[in-house]
Amino acid sequence: MIRVAALLSIGRHPASGRARRAGLDARGLELALRMPNAEVRAFHAGDPHAASLRDYLGMGLETLNVLNVAPGCDPVPALVEALRGVGPDLIICGMRAEAGEGSGMVPYLIAEALGHAVVCDAAAIECASGTARVVQGLPRGRRREVVVTLPAVVLVNSAAPAARAPAFARARRGRIVPHPVEAREDAFLAACEMRPWRARPKRMAVPSGGSAQERMKALTEAKAGEGRLLVNPVPEEAARAVRDYLVEKRFLRGAGDGDGRG
Amino acid sequence: MKMRRDPRSEREARRSTGGERPRFSLMVLKPAVGRLRRSPRIVRQAATVSISPRLRIAWNGRVAPQASGAVLAARAPVETMRVVAEPAFHVLVVPDTDGEGGLSEIDRQLIAAGRSLADSGGGAVCALALQGGDDLGGAGADRVIAVTGIEPLAYDPEGRTAAVLTAIAILSPRHVLFAETPDGSDIARRVAARLGERLFAGADALEAGSDGDTRALRRAQGGSLAQSAKLPRLVSIMPDAFPLHAGLPHEGRPLDEVPMGAADRRISASRPLTVDPDTIALEEADFLLSGGNGVTDWQGFADLAEALGATRAGSRVVCDQGHLPRERQVGASGTLVTAGCYFALGISGAPQHLQGITRVGHVVAVNTDLHAEMIKRADLAIVADAQAVMPALIRLLAERKGGGDD
Repeated sequence: MIRVAALLSIGRHPASGRARRAGLDARGLELALRMPNAEVRAFHAGDPHAASLRDYLGMGLETLNVLNVAPGCDPVPALVEALRGVGPDLIICGMRAEAGEGSGMVPYLIAEALGHAVVCDAAAIECASGTARVVQGLPRGRRREVVVTLPAVVLVNSAAPAARAPAFARARRGRIVPHPVEAREDAFLAACEMRPWRARPKRMAVPSGGSAQERMKALTEAKAGEGRLLVNPVPEEAARAVRDYLVEKRFLRGAGDGDGRG
Repeated sequence: MKMRRDPRSEREARRSTGGERPRFSLMVLKPAVGRLRRSPRIVRQAATVSISPRLRIAWNGRVAPQASGAVLAARAPVETMRVVAEPAFHVLVVPDTDGEGGLSEIDRQLIAAGRSLADSGGGAVCALALQGGDDLGGAGADRVIAVTGIEPLAYDPEGRTAAVLTAIAILSPRHVLFAETPDGSDIARRVAARLGERLFAGADALEAGSDGDTRALRRAQGGSLAQSAKLPRLVSIMPDAFPLHAGLPHEGRPLDEVPMGAADRRISASRPLTVDPDTIALEEADFLLSGGNGVTDWQGFADLAEALGATRAGSRVVCDQGHLPRERQVGASGTLVTAGCYFALGISGAPQHLQGITRVGHVVAVNTDLHAEMIKRADLAIVADAQAVMPALIRLLAERKGGGDD
């Protein structure tokens, strides 16, 4: 039996701005629920009356512990206290929140306070005795497997399997257990200036050197393909051209090993 | 320099006296005297102020001209490197650790951002060389700290965190800059949690505050709000947010190597996994083999994808016909792909399809129609039947894999 704590936050739809279950946290809960032989407890720091918390219950949770932290307050001390009481082997949450500051610091601060290891970018978790094998999902579809000693905090990214859809009846049936906690206001966040985000112009690499005409030309002329063209070659010649191009651009695996040709 | 010729005085010199009418001797040649002859080339050279970057001639003499061409060539020695000898403070830059060892684009942007912070108050940029310090000075770094006892290319976030903490303890920098990339952001947060300091995560811009201090800007609330604060000590920087260093190269002087420091390692082993290319999501895949209406042998298409190690994709027609699942469709109504290489077989290039590949790095296209849009878009275009090229390419790759030489 492995004790798993899932940290869940309330997300924000990127287009409409409406509250929803946070995508990465839901993926983390999905991983926790799929784990065999695991006892999953879920925690949320925030308003216990938020409607979108029911979406998590609809995924198959019996109860959701909500630490009643007021908006603008630091949730980390309350979460650390609650988790210390549970003593989980594995804490699972998303890489960063969709709402609020969204700096992604909370799991690291919790791990530091509890003395846990941290693994980020998790796409899959497999627990053995005292250790966990975590597959990290990296950019460009690459994967890396790391072995981490438990207890650990695992941060889930979007390479993890998609969360199951919430079931309405389960969402109704599940219990939200509020816990009153003391939380202090986040002074740094209160001192920050907030304003609506305005898209900034895309930065262009302005060429230095050369005449004004050359610089203008470099900035404005369309970057078309290199435009190498072979018309009606024999198939072998075409295949060789493609192969050589892919080797030159390093898209063929094992390119050049044991092969003296350019 | 020649004298200026005066034909009248030369004529007078040849005049023979005595006689009724004027006579001139053709044999007598007296040396010409008088003013020096004007050389337009020398005048022009003397008026030339500069030759590069563009020719500039001050005919009016208001700009002090160079005396001659020889002087123009031997200019005053140009400053080739900037040196910050006595820095008022340090800005520590932690390059991204995700890469093959060289300086990546984001590393150069980081150093340039550190440069702007350092230049505002006479500071020095100090880069942590976690994986070789090639050309850190050219990117704008004044100092380079090498770390001993660290595997350059291994995945070791805990060791790197310890190294950064050691460097911070030695330098006590005013600011520490990290890259907001998968591995860089991880290290930034580990360091911030260990130090118990606030991390300004994912800074998008630096701006001058009302009271003369530097403020940083980041996106908060899911990207809908701009959060600005007085720049804290620990900052991580978004990719492509800062321009590269364009000025003179800096010194890049190596400081004493620092030991990595004690790292409490809980991540014990790591290895890259080989991934089946067809399980990679289309928008993430780096190498796509895409089939269109010109492909009829779909088993051969699958074999070619396997031989190339490419992810399979297709045009709308192909997905409509059921040869590939819908999530493999590239284009406006499918996926907008960002692959490094897109190999299109038998795709003519409808506008909706080309919209899907605008962010692709290299395009290779095989199509029977010379005038197809895809042939115009491609970096390597081959006008041929894709059905004939596919088996030839499979044979060629099999030969290569088998170690045979053609």
